[in-house]
Amino acid sequence: METFILVFKVLGFGDLCLYPASFEYYAPASLDEAIDLLNKHREEARVLAGGHSLIPMMKLRVLRPAYVIDLNRVKGLKYIEEKGGEIRIGALTTYYDVITSDIVKRRVPILAECASVVADPQVRNWGTIGGSLSHCDPSGDMGSSILALRAKMVAKGSSGERVIESDDWFVGSFQSALKTGEILREIVIPTPKPGSGGAYLKLERKAGDYAIAAVGVQVTLDGSGSCTYAGIGLTAVGPTNLRAKKAEQALVGRKVDDRVIEEAARAATEDCRPTDDPLRGSAEYKRAMVGVLTKRALNKALADAKRSR
Amino acid sequence: MVKVVKTRVEFEGRFRDEYTVVEGEPLEGWSPKSGLKIVGRPHPRVDGAAKVTGSAKYTHDVYLPGMVYGKFLRSPYAHAKITHIDASEAEGLPGVLGVYTYKNAATLGFGGAEKVFKQEVTYQGDVVALVLAQDESVAEDALELIRVEYEPLRPLVDPEEIMGLDSSKDRIVGPKLYERGDLEKGFAEADVIVEESFKTQAALHNCMETHGSVAHWEGDNLVVHTSTQSVFNVRSALSEELGIPQSKIRVVSEFMGGGFGSKFGAGEYTVVAAAAARLLGRPVRIVLDRVEENLATGNRSQTVQWVKIGAKRDGRITAIHLKGLVNVGEDGWVADLGGPAKMMYHCPNVKVELYGVKTNLVSSTAFRAPGYVEGDFALESAVDELARRLNMDPLELRLLNYATRDPVTNSEYSSKALREAYLKGAELIGWRSEPRVVRDGAKIRAKGVAGAIWWGGGGPPAYAEVKVNADGGVTVLTATQDIGTGTRTALAQIAAEELGLPFSSVRVVLGDTITELRSPGSGGSQTLASMGPAVRAAAHDAKNQLLEIASQVYDVAKERLTIREGSIFRSDGSVLCSVGELLGNLGDFSVTGRGAREPNQEGYMVNTFAAQFAEVEVDTETGTLRVLRLVSVHDSGMVVNPLTFTSQVEGGVIMGMGYALWEGRLVDGESGVVINPNLNDYLVARCSDVGEITPTYVEPEDPHTNSLGVKGIGEPPIIGVAPAIANALREAIGVRLRELPFTPERVYSAIKGINPRPTTAKYL
Repeated sequence: METFILVFKVLGFGDLCLYPASFEYYAPASLDEAIDLLNKHREEARVLAGGHSLIPMMKLRVLRPAYVIDLNRVKGLKYIEEKGGEIRIGALTTYYDVITSDIVKRRVPILAECASVVADPQVRNWGTIGGSLSHCDPSGDMGSSILALRAKMVAKGSSGERVIESDDWFVGSFQSALKTGEILREIVIPTPKPGSGGAYLKLERKAGDYAIAAVGVQVTLDGSGSCTYAGIGLTAVGPTNLRAKKAEQALVGRKVDDRVIEEAARAATEDCRPTDDPLRGSAEYKRAMVGVLTKRALNKALADAKRSR
Repeated sequence: MVKVVKTRVEFEGRFRDEYTVVEGEPLEGWSPKSGLKIVGRPHPRVDGAAKVTGSAKYTHDVYLPGMVYGKFLRSPYAHAKITHIDASEAEGLPGVLGVYTYKNAATLGFGGAEKVFKQEVTYQGDVVALVLAQDESVAEDALELIRVEYEPLRPLVDPEEIMGLDSSKDRIVGPKLYERGDLEKGFAEADVIVEESFKTQAALHNCMETHGSVAHWEGDNLVVHTSTQSVFNVRSALSEELGIPQSKIRVVSEFMGGGFGSKFGAGEYTVVAAAAARLLGRPVRIVLDRVEENLATGNRSQTVQWVKIGAKRDGRITAIHLKGLVNVGEDGWVADLGGPAKMMYHCPNVKVELYGVKTNLVSSTAFRAPGYVEGDFALESAVDELARRLNMDPLELRLLNYATRDPVTNSEYSSKALREAYLKGAELIGWRSEPRVVRDGAKIRAKGVAGAIWWGGGGPPAYAEVKVNADGGVTVLTATQDIGTGTRTALAQIAAEELGLPFSSVRVVLGDTITELRSPGSGGSQTLASMGPAVRAAAHDAKNQLLEIASQVYDVAKERLTIREGSIFRSDGSVLCSVGELLGNLGDFSVTGRGAREPNQEGYMVNTFAAQFAEVEVDTETGTLRVLRLVSVHDSGMVVNPLTFTSQVEGGVIMGMGYALWEGRLVDGESGVVINPNLNDYLVARCSDVGEITPTYVEPEDPHTNSLGVKGIGEPPIIGVAPAIANALREAIGVRLRELPFTPERVYSAIKGINPRPTTAKYL
C-alpha cells in the first residue's frame, strides 16, 4: 500500500508505465569504484542489488535515476559468518542464502523464518538483505527482524565506514540512514545468548503479498525463566518498521506467563501506528492484528527459548 | 447432398434461430457405453510440450520485420473534458512515427475513429491518444510528452448512489423483467420467508495473455494476428471499420492465452493496428499492458441483489423474488443474474427484476458464466439461510426442490444428473459421515454446499474438414479457437476415434479464418458441443471415402470393411492394407471429408449442472479464511478427455475461490479512479493459495444433445464456488457474510460484530 501511495503521489492519477525512462548503467568491480560513481552522480544515481524493488519502481517511472550502479559484480559482499559473538551478513546475501544458512537456522532462526515469507521464490532468489534494508519499505519484512535482533548496519562511504544502530537506521518511509554516497556493506547481529528464541509471523491477504501486519519477536530467558532480552519489530503498521518498545518493556525482567504475554501484546497494539488502507484493512483492524500476532509470535519464541536452554 | 435446416441455437441462455447447411446423414450417438477407445480416455494435450517449451506462437510472440509499436495514452480521470491537447513535442521525439488524438484520428482511416478518440473521456483508461513508434520504450517516452489539460467532470461510479439521484434517470437501463406464476400468492402460501441482500464486486479477467493484435498488409490483403475467442467476429468488425471485403482479411489466433469472455471481437487495439499498418506500410503491433488490461477491457459486473424466498414448513419453495442492480459501466450489458433464480428450483412463482446502471467505469463484459456467478452467490446463500430457518439439512432442501423439468419452459431436459452429482459430492466431502463443524483452538473448519446451473449445449453453424493424407496422417481443419481449454486435443481424439486411425496421427489446424470453415466463438461453454460433432461428421465422411476407395481398389464390398488402428480390415479380421498404402498407391491422393454440426433436437432444454462442496478453515482471531477442500461434481454429458476436464474444473474452481476470497476491483468513490489495476494490488490466486480440489463427474447418457452426447465444461466450475464457500463460512462462524470478497477484515469484523467504518474506496 505504501508503494501504491507513493506511486499515486508521484504520478498523480494512474499514469502508469511499464518501461523505465532511459538511464546509464554501470557495473563496477569494486565497492570503492561504486562509491566513487555514487559520489559523482549523487542523487541522480541509484544502486542496484537484487533489483526487486528498484526495477519495478523504475518501470512504473516512480523513480527515474539517470544512472544505475549495479553491485552484482562486486566480490565479497555475499556471505554469512559467525565470529567473536557476532553474525556478519554481507549486503548482497539473498533471502534464499539466509533461509538456507546453517548459522542463521542455528543462531537466529527468526531471520530464516522472516526471509521465507518475503514475496515469492523468484524474489527470494534475487532479492538481497542489504537491498531490502536500504530500500526501507515500511512493509518490508527484514527490517522488523533486524530491529528485534538489534543489529548494526555497516555503511561505507568515500571517507570510510561507520556503524549505524538499527534503532537509527529507519529514518522514514523509503528513507534509510544512509547518506548520499554511502552503500550498506554489512549487517552485524549480536549472537543471541543460550536460552533465546525468535519468531516472525506475517498476516497476509494471500501468499506472496505484502503484510497486512507482521511481527518479529526475539527473546532470551535466563535459568529461572525470567526474560533478560526482548526485541519486537513491527511491519507495515507505521511509516517505517517499528520497534515495539512498550511491549518489550512489558517482558524484560519478568517471568513470562500468559498474563504477561497478553500485557505485552496489548502494549504492542499501542506501539504500532497503522493507517487505513483500502487493500489490506483499516487502522483498527491492523492494530488488533498486531496484538494477535505479537501474542502468537511470543508463544512461539518463548517455546523455542525454553527448548534451547 | 446439401440440406438447409432451421434450428434453435442457444448462447449463454439467449436463444436465436439459425439456418444451417448440413451434409450427410445423422450419425448414431456416442455415449459412455459405446465402447470408445480414444474418446473418454485421458490424453495429455497435443500442444502441451509446445506451450511448456515456449515454441507455441501466441499473438504476443509475433514480431515482424520493420514492425511499429502502438501505445495508447489513457485518461487518468473517470470523467473529464480535454480542454487542450498538444502532441508536437511527442511527434518530434526521434523514433516516433505518428501521434493521434481526437483532432486528427480521422486520418487513421477507419470508420469508428471518433468513437475511440474522444474529447470527453468517460472512464479512467479511456483512450486519449495513440503513439506509433519504433519501439515500446520510445512509445512510452512519447506518451509523457503529450501535453493534455483536462477539465475534470463529476464521475458517478456507484449504482446505489445513482438509483437515488433524480438527475441520473438516463443512466438506468430496464427493468428487465421475468415473471411466472403468482408471486404474491406464493408468498401468501409460505410458512417461512427469508429476505436477504447481497453485494458482489467487479472482477477483472486478467487473462495471462493481455489483449493485443499485430497487423500487417500483404498488398491489399490484411493479416491480423490477435488474441481472440472469435476470429470471425474480428474479421467482420475489421471489414466494417476498414471498408474492405472479408475475403481480403485473414485473422489468425493459433495459440491464445485466455479470454474468459473478454475477447469476443475486435478491440480498438485491433482496428487501430490494422489502420495504422495500412497508413505506414509497416506491420503494427499493439498489445496492452497489465494496467491497461485492467482499466480498459471490461470486467464482471458489480451487483447489488435482494432475494426473497418463501417456503412451506416441509421445505417446498413456493416463491422466489430477485431484484438486482447491475453496474454496467459506460455501456455494458445487463448480465442475467436471474438465471439461477429462474432455473434452479421447482418453484411455481418466480419474479426477477433487473436494472442496469451506467457508470463512469469501463463497460462491463462477459466473464465466465456472466450473471450466473453473481446470481448463484445470492440465491444459493439465501437458500442456505432458508434451510437454517426450516432446520433442514441444506442438501436435503436442495434435493426436495429439485427441478425435474426446466421450470422456465416446462420442457424436458436433454439429460440431468444433478441429483447424482449432489450425492456423489456429499459422499466425497463426508457430508453425512463427518462432523459439519470442527473446532481446533482459534481455528474452525466447516463445510458448505451449493448447486450450479448453466448452458453449454452448443449448436450450428459449425463446420470442419478432415483430410487423410497419402501417408495415412490426418489433418483436422476448422476455424475454431483453442483458448486454452484443450480444444485441439479433444478434436484430435474425436477425429481419431471416428476414423479408426491412431490419435498420434492427427494434427488439428485451427484459429485461422483462411480455412473459411465457419465456427462459433469460443465461449458460452459451447466449443466442444458445437465443433466436436462437426469434426466427427467430417471424419465419418472421410472414413466413408476411404472405405469406398478400398472397396474399389481391392474389389471387396465396402460393407465388409472396417478401419482400426490405421489399417483396413476385412470382416474375417484379416488386414487388407494400411490406410497409407491405400492412398500412396493412388499417387499420393488425399481424402477430404466435410462435416457440419447437426441441428439441435427440438423440445429439449440442454443445461449443464454442478454440485459443489467446500470445506473451509477460519482463523477466528485474524479473519483469514482458507479453502481446504473443494469437491466439484459435474454433469456435462459425456467427458471426452478426463485430463482436460480436470484442468477446466481446477481452473474454474480456483477462479471462483479468487472471486470469493481475494479478487475485486476497488474504486475510489469520489474520483472514480481504480485503486488496484495491477497484479500487485489486485490479487489472483496462485498455487500456494489453493487447497485440495476434487474435480469429478457423473456421466449421464444424453441422446438428445448431439452426436457425441457432450455438453460444455468451461463455465460451470466457477458458478457455485463462492456460495459453497459462503455457506461453509456461515456454518463455521455463525454469521452470514453478504458481500464479496471475503477479505480477512470483513470476516474478522463479522466474527467480532464490528461494523467497519465506511471508506471512499468501494468494490465497484
